Amino acid sequence: MSDEEHHFESSESGASKTYPQQAGNIRKGGHIVIKNRPCKVVEVSTSKTGKHGHAKCHFVAIDIFTAKKLEDIVPSSHNCDVPHVNRVDYQLIDITEDGFVSLLTDSGGTKDDLKLPTDDALTAQMRSGFDEGKDVVVSVMSSMGEEQICAVKEVGGGK
Amino acid sequence: MEDRVFSSVHSTVFKESESLEGKCDKIQGYDFNQGVNYPKLMRSMLTTGFQASNLGEAIDVVNQMLDWRLADETIVSEDCSAEEKDPSYRESVKCKIFLGFTSNLVSSGVRDTIRYLVQHHMVDVIVTTTGGVEEDLIKCLAPTFKGDFSLPGAYLRSKGLNRIGNLLVPNDNYCKFEDWIIPIFDEMLKEQKEENVLWTPSKLLARLGKEINNESSYLYWAYKMNIPVFCPGLTDGSLGDMLYFHSFRTSGLIIDVVQDIRAMNGEAVHATPRKTGMIILGGGLPKHHICNANMMRNGADYAVFINTGQEFDGSDSGARPDEAVSWGKIRGSAKTVKVYCDATIAFPLLVAETFATKRDQTCESKT
Repeated sequence: MSDEEHHFESSESGASKTYPQQAGNIRKGGHIVIKNRPCKVVEVSTSKTGKHGHAKCHFVAIDIFTAKKLEDIVPSSHNCDVPHVNRVDYQLIDITEDGFVSLLTDSGGTKDDLKLPTDDALTAQMRSGFDEGKDVVVSVMSSMGEEQICAVKEVGGGK
Repeated sequence: MEDRVFSSVHSTVFKESESLEGKCDKIQGYDFNQGVNYPKLMRSMLTTGFQASNLGEAIDVVNQMLDWRLADETIVSEDCSAEEKDPSYRESVKCKIFLGFTSNLVSSGVRDTIRYLVQHHMVDVIVTTTGGVEEDLIKCLAPTFKGDFSLPGAYLRSKGLNRIGNLLVPNDNYCKFEDWIIPIFDEMLKEQKEENVLWTPSKLLARLGKEINNESSYLYWAYKMNIPVFCPGLTDGSLGDMLYFHSFRTSGLIIDVVQDIRAMNGEAVHATPRKTGMIILGGGLPKHHICNANMMRNGADYAVFINTGQEFDGSDSGARPDEAVSWGKIRGSAKTVKVYCDATIAFPLLVAETFATKRDQTCESKT
């Protein structure tokens, strides 16, 4: 492929961010794209074929980044887009003045383009662990071109 | 002594009666010794009694609706325009007829009677429920079948069959309807956004009539003849389900009911100098909506109700024309009839003796 010189971490050009799946096969706990947002399905109900036409699946889902509730109704035989959702763990190296984080990548470089998470509890946990000199590992969730820190854990004791 | 008691009892039991000769019609049924003559059989209904007589009177009232011309009225006010005084103009002004019906009748074969009336522009305004529209469109995509009232519900559900009385509509018919209508909604949404079209139920129905493009559909003929079809309860049916689902896929389609109530009431208010007549099959929304519009012009001049509703529960569906008079929906001077009968029997017979006969006569006189 022609994109060899790109870093392995950046988005794979040419590969799609979603894959199709029949609506009837998407279950609670799975993922679905609604209004172009990657979401996690919290409720599915199916209405059988009837006066309203073809059998339909009613999805209630939560945007994985903004936590907003979204819903959609799709004929069960139609294909929906399911987002690829990846989680990668990184070690926290630094928290900058303007709210960005510096993370250690697998290959030894740094990833500096992520902001602190909007979740205050996570941010507080990161800051306290970092300030105490502990090894803090963050999980970064990425999907459809968007990334966010979704979890924090402390590994090992302080220095 | 016994004689006196006897004659007193006798005069109590055999009370002398007032003569009705010359005041009331005699009851006389059809004599089949004349052979099977349907027009004569129909005309005999008027003197057969009970609902046959009511149907006979309804036929009379509808014929009066069809025969009335402004020329029949004496010129009342001096501030009539010159045009309004012109005899040939007055000959041309006819009664405006509102036709209302419920959806079960469109599921039945009465749909074809309605289509005939619309095809030949014999009615001016139509009001119906959502089912009254979609059943007509669906019949162009797939047929409705004759079943039985007694077919068990759970069994039918397992077979994907929906029961309407003793008719059956397969689920698949509604799937075909969905496949047909969703792309049309997409188009309409596009036109709303790009061409600033503001859709109303009647505009939507005209568009659907255009799209179905099928001569068996009354909606198609309503589009061709420019007869407005009002359906203020547009969301209450399969069509409403389609709007609901469409709003998830591609949201934003707006349907304005306010414009339509202006148009509907306008049909009544601006009818003058025409008289207005209402032919209403069934009860519910179509019955009230038409009567209410006519209230805006101080009442309709003719009213024929064909329904099986009863008034004891105070429902509007079961209310007689006289109740509508108390509201100003029908004029005190109006000619009205209520036929207590299933419209699948009464309406085709009524049309045979009114609209269809007059059309045949007009066609014959032209040839």
